[in-house]
Amino acid sequence: MTSLKQDEYYDLIRGVNWTPKYVPEEEIFPEEMSGSRGIPMAQWEAFDEPYKVTYGDYVQTQREKDAGVYSVKAGLERANYVKTADPGWVSTLQAHYGALAVAEYAAATAEARMARFSKAPGNRVVATFGMLDEMRHGQLQLFFSHEHTRLSRQWDWAHKALYTNEWAAIAARHMFDDMMFTRDAISTAIMLTFAFETGFTNMQFLGLSADAAEAGDHTFSNLISSIQTDESRHAQQGGAILKVMVDNGKIDDAQHMIDVIFWRTWKLFSVLTGPIMDYYTPLEHRKQSFKEFMEEWIIGQFVRQLDDLGLKKPWYWDTFVADLDQAHHAIHVGVWFYRPTVWWNPAAGASPEERAWLEQKYPGWNTTFGRTWDVITDNIVRGRLNMTLPETLPLLCNMSNVPIVGTPGDKWNTKDYPLVYEGRLYHFGSPIDRWCFEQEPERYKGHMNFIDRVLAGLVQPPDMAGALAYMGLAPGEMGEDAHDYAWAAAYQRKAAE
Amino acid sequence: MAMFPIASNVEGDMAIMVVMVDDEGTMDEVAKACAYHSVGRRVAPRPDKILRVRRSSTGEVYPRDMRLKEAGLLPTECVDLIFSDA
Repeated sequence: MTSLKQDEYYDLIRGVNWTPKYVPEEEIFPEEMSGSRGIPMAQWEAFDEPYKVTYGDYVQTQREKDAGVYSVKAGLERANYVKTADPGWVSTLQAHYGALAVAEYAAATAEARMARFSKAPGNRVVATFGMLDEMRHGQLQLFFSHEHTRLSRQWDWAHKALYTNEWAAIAARHMFDDMMFTRDAISTAIMLTFAFETGFTNMQFLGLSADAAEAGDHTFSNLISSIQTDESRHAQQGGAILKVMVDNGKIDDAQHMIDVIFWRTWKLFSVLTGPIMDYYTPLEHRKQSFKEFMEEWIIGQFVRQLDDLGLKKPWYWDTFVADLDQAHHAIHVGVWFYRPTVWWNPAAGASPEERAWLEQKYPGWNTTFGRTWDVITDNIVRGRLNMTLPETLPLLCNMSNVPIVGTPGDKWNTKDYPLVYEGRLYHFGSPIDRWCFEQEPERYKGHMNFIDRVLAGLVQPPDMAGALAYMGLAPGEMGEDAHDYAWAAAYQRKAAE
Repeated sequence: MAMFPIASNVEGDMAIMVVMVDDEGTMDEVAKACAYHSVGRRVAPRPDKILRVRRSSTGEVYPRDMRLKEAGLLPTECVDLIFSDA
């Protein structure tokens, strides 16, 4: 008997829709979980993912991929890369693992929702693999980071961070909960696999992999490249779902979901990835600036995919592009200044050579963000370290949950975008964050960001010490300057002359 | 007196600080409390200027001797702190 080729039987074996006789369709696929938006079952069957895989092939490929990453890890373990790595790179790893490892595990739940409740049978098949992918990513990243816990307690935050009330963890959790835990299957496919994964994780994983290889961290480079091959496969669900939506007259609904979650994702990546690429990665190992990565992966590739589907760039595109010169620089200052409130040691990245690079990549940096670093540097040179640390908390956005920031110095534009809703004053970092809230106030209105919790009396005492305790940060976990201020040595020498 | 939270947006700073101030205090005292968390930390001091308090939502610049509680601000409402000649 001759075996059929995969493309001859694949559609048949994944065509697992049937006509229910004993239970109504709406009970098998409740709308709040399924999100089919009135599109009939038969139309969802048109879902067609470009890259098809059978379970047997999937298992074999994943086994080979795991063998690859674990063997690289084992082979390089004795080299003790992390012990000798630049402290800025160590911080990169700690920030990445803490923000994402457990979130990957959570993403398995989102994939499971699609695997169970999507009316598109192909979606259910691909999401089943996606669910297994995300478990793999959670396990890999928790395991790979765990070997370093003997070096410092900060490594333990790979597992701990998202279970704490640390401010960045609250921000990440709010975003992930919104996108992964509280949406129907179709919304999840669009928001998680299209906007978040197709749009942004490419950059986090491929961009960071390139920087890791440059920095000599082949274990991490190999790990996240391997993860990205899974992401690329299951991220294709979003495009296929969008095509069904567009073909069935739901383009406005699809566009709206992309507009909301694209901005939310951007804000999160501006905190996580921006400072890593432009400040933490040692200067000699930077492949491209964060903005250049964004231009290549987001402005180039993602927009092309939107075009192909007949969708538009989000309505706030010009503001987003302008934000590439601002958001992550401002957040970086904030994270460095509030370094005791994060689980990694932020690298200032403000030595004379690094500032020259920043000015080259971001013309005007010296007269804006540079002005802030001038004051900070002067305090370090004069031995006034207490003036480089906070004594109060910054105002946080009620959508992104990160500090409301703007451009400092000569182009100062920092601004709060408030909204009074049902008698409560909300604060937003941009008109777009406020717009996101206004789309679904019932979804967001009850959440309390860190400042709300302080003002509600949940943080005691209501000062920095109480805040750190509430965040679960103990000595040895709180961030310090990654290089113990060595970056300021050139300024100190100059001042001494 | 009662401690009142305001959002302090000092000219030249990249972030907005939450500052607790005495609602009996004058706007000059509010400005001083706000400056403490920004000026000399992330914003260069400008000794030739004074900081004036401006309501962010309306642009209204408050008189220097006006008491905070007379301004009608909501808790955590944002004020801009602007370097001025007088």
